[in-house]
Amino acid sequence: MKNQVQKLVLFISLTVAILSCSKSDTTQVLPISAVSVKDIPADTVVGLSAQGAPITNGVYTYYSLEKNTVVPAADSATTKWDIAFMATRIITNGGTSGKGQGGAFVFTGLFDNLKTIPTDSVFKTDNAPTSYAITTGSGKGWYTYDGLNNLITPLAGRVLVIRTASGKYAKVEITSYYKGGTTLPATASDLEKLTKQRYYSFRYAFQPNGSKTF
Amino acid sequence: MQGDSVVVTANRAERKLGNITVPVNIVNAKQIQQVGALRLTDILKEQPGLNMTSGFGAGVQLQGLNPDYTIILINGEPLVGRTAGVLDLNRIALGNIKKIEIVKGPSSSLYGSEAMAGVINIITETVANIPLQASLRYGTYETIDAGVNNAYAEKSIFYQGFYNYFSTNGYSIRPNSNSRVTTPIDRYSFNQQLKYNIGNNTNIAFGIRFTNEKITNDISVTNGGTTINSIGKENNTDKNASVSVNHRFSNNFKTSFRSYFTEYNAKQDLVTVTGAPYYDLLNHVFKRVENQTDWSATKQLNLIFGAGAVWEGVKSSRYDSEKIRKTNTIQYGFTQMEWTPSEKLILIGGLRFDKNETFASAFSPKFSALYRLNQKQKIKISIGQGFKAPDFRQLYLDFTNAAAGGYSVFGTAQAQKVISQLMRLGQIGNLYDSYYQLKTLKPEFSTGVHLSWEYEPSLNSYLSVQLFRNDIRNLIQVQQVGSYVTGAQLFSYLNIGSAFTQGVELELKQKLNTNFNITAAYQYLETGDKDQINLIKANKVYTRDANGYSRLLSLNDYVGLPNNNTHKAQIKLNYNNHNGFFANIRMLYRSKWAVSNTNGNEVFDKGDEFASGYISLHTSIGKTYQSGFSLQIGCDNITNYNDPLNLPNLPGRTFFATIKYQIFKK
Repeated sequence: MKNQVQKLVLFISLTVAILSCSKSDTTQVLPISAVSVKDIPADTVVGLSAQGAPITNGVYTYYSLEKNTVVPAADSATTKWDIAFMATRIITNGGTSGKGQGGAFVFTGLFDNLKTIPTDSVFKTDNAPTSYAITTGSGKGWYTYDGLNNLITPLAGRVLVIRTASGKYAKVEITSYYKGGTTLPATASDLEKLTKQRYYSFRYAFQPNGSKTF
Repeated sequence: MQGDSVVVTANRAERKLGNITVPVNIVNAKQIQQVGALRLTDILKEQPGLNMTSGFGAGVQLQGLNPDYTIILINGEPLVGRTAGVLDLNRIALGNIKKIEIVKGPSSSLYGSEAMAGVINIITETVANIPLQASLRYGTYETIDAGVNNAYAEKSIFYQGFYNYFSTNGYSIRPNSNSRVTTPIDRYSFNQQLKYNIGNNTNIAFGIRFTNEKITNDISVTNGGTTINSIGKENNTDKNASVSVNHRFSNNFKTSFRSYFTEYNAKQDLVTVTGAPYYDLLNHVFKRVENQTDWSATKQLNLIFGAGAVWEGVKSSRYDSEKIRKTNTIQYGFTQMEWTPSEKLILIGGLRFDKNETFASAFSPKFSALYRLNQKQKIKISIGQGFKAPDFRQLYLDFTNAAAGGYSVFGTAQAQKVISQLMRLGQIGNLYDSYYQLKTLKPEFSTGVHLSWEYEPSLNSYLSVQLFRNDIRNLIQVQQVGSYVTGAQLFSYLNIGSAFTQGVELELKQKLNTNFNITAAYQYLETGDKDQINLIKANKVYTRDANGYSRLLSLNDYVGLPNNNTHKAQIKLNYNNHNGFFANIRMLYRSKWAVSNTNGNEVFDKGDEFASGYISLHTSIGKTYQSGFSLQIGCDNITNYNDPLNLPNLPGRTFFATIKYQIFKK
């Protein structure tokens, strides 16, 4: 009797073990941890003209979400990058912007609450210069522009859902457009607003297994 | 203590303040003079429940409602010429003013459009006690005010004149800037009134008023690091003229015919160093004829009947053609019944109907009552509906801002026509659902409820507690209706949104002894946009936490409408003696208020940017001599409080000295 019970216990334990193994093999419940990135320059002001006008180079900063690193501009025609920033414009590696499978849409809601990308979501691709996957313009995509105080503020409750160059998924929340990671106060000087703008801080989560679950 | 002062605005008839059923504040000539107020702004900013706004001139906010919702009258006739809904109260010189009456709560049942938050009526002097008066004042920022009043009366004639010159060099709070927050101004006004009695029961009265101001408005705009200096000239003229014939058939029956004409013309020129001129013109003409008949049917029952017609026209460089005047006509009728069934109770019901040519009509009922609990206490209640008609800009604006990205704003009367033309030209990228919702604008409506308790324990004390609530619906708001092929936005106006303001007002007046008296007031105010509140409740509004990460906004975080103070308070101490000496010290307090939306949502919440609350202190002393001379000196903003960004109209500490000479009637 005792032996039979032992056998039964062993059998159940093994079954559970096997089942759990097979389950973790197919869907990987490993939590995806969010990564914070600070002060990524996005065509920053490099100087002022004699009249005081800002001078910029008109360049994108390319970023790999898969590798969590800035990608040199020389690799802009490759699939090494996933998103790129120039001033308030954010492009993805697809459509008219790149050779990859990139695309994106803007999700309204909280970063942590976006656990699975809804099945009916439509990923858009860049179609420069008329439209971008991440809509440009104040109040339409990821930011608002306060013309009175000359400040760009990321909209709260917006998550950029990104399809990477390799066709995997990531979610991004922009937290600031100013160097140092916080939006400048309205009282900051014009010069400070000019020179500290165009620095992105954001947090993101990347799902390496290709699923739409974070 | 409220005494026997007479109020005309509340009932459109002379009534003792003690019998008025709605909340009223009276500012008399003595108060105006002892404060040293020159312009309407100077005195209104010290009144309970009022708040001055900056931007497009100095407007007045009444119980949390914006300047466009309060009608400004001079002797019962409206002033026109609002920019973005704001009537600049600096335009009005306080010369031969007898008193200012401030009626709170919707008063459209008597005054029609704009009397949604309340009415401010400026009443000029009616007796010729001072045949001649001349005054000269000099103050900080080379501010000069010179005025002459003359008056003459005999059996059948009353005449008075008022001439005023005001000039200031303005000031700049920010160092190293050409831009001046208060710009250099030269302003002339004059005012003439003549009343002639034809027999004992009939009189005819004429009045004209003229103000011209020239403003130098040089500005420096720094855009993207480039500074552009411009030379700006503004020239504004305000004219009005009125004629009225008043006849008394008997002690119980009288009628008055009034006709009124006013024109406001504002012209702005801005020339930059590069020569690119900016030009703006606004010309607003308003004509009105009106009859009012008062009938005391019995001792207990007074009736008023009135009817009138308005013709109004506006020309603007921001409309499709500045040469073509846009017009509107309004016909209206109103009635009011005042019933005093007993010594203790007064009941008033009123009704007005306004029929408009260019927008939907409005029906404005009002009911109010006063009940005396005993000799010392009374309760008042008033419930009324107010409205504000869509203004000309909301109907006819045709404005494209080439400088700022080429966006366009079209008034509703043109929007669909203009946009469909642009569509045929292939210039329209896409149209939103809101475009198809465009239709004839309805007026904005408010319902106001005021409940107050007044207590006068003795002749020396007065206390009042007032609760108020205003609900506004059909708010006219700018909405994006589509975009050009270029991506530039297209805007028009829609009746959307609703809001509320509510609060408590306390007022205390206490005579301490023969020389001293103290007055104090406090207002607690809550405001809110009902649609935003619903969105917050539906968990659709977000904000950011300390890490910059988004989180849901809770109703606790919501602060309501911008530019409103939750707490406002004031204390004034006055001294007067019978040698003609007076002194006062006034303390005004405003709590912090939301100024800009900085945390990435469309609502104002605790995480946004606020202007700090502050206290300002003011004082003035003066003496009137037997010879007719009087001297006055004063200091405003003693502590030199300033906040250039949020309070551009508040200069630092300023001083003034006034010398005045009066000839009294023998």
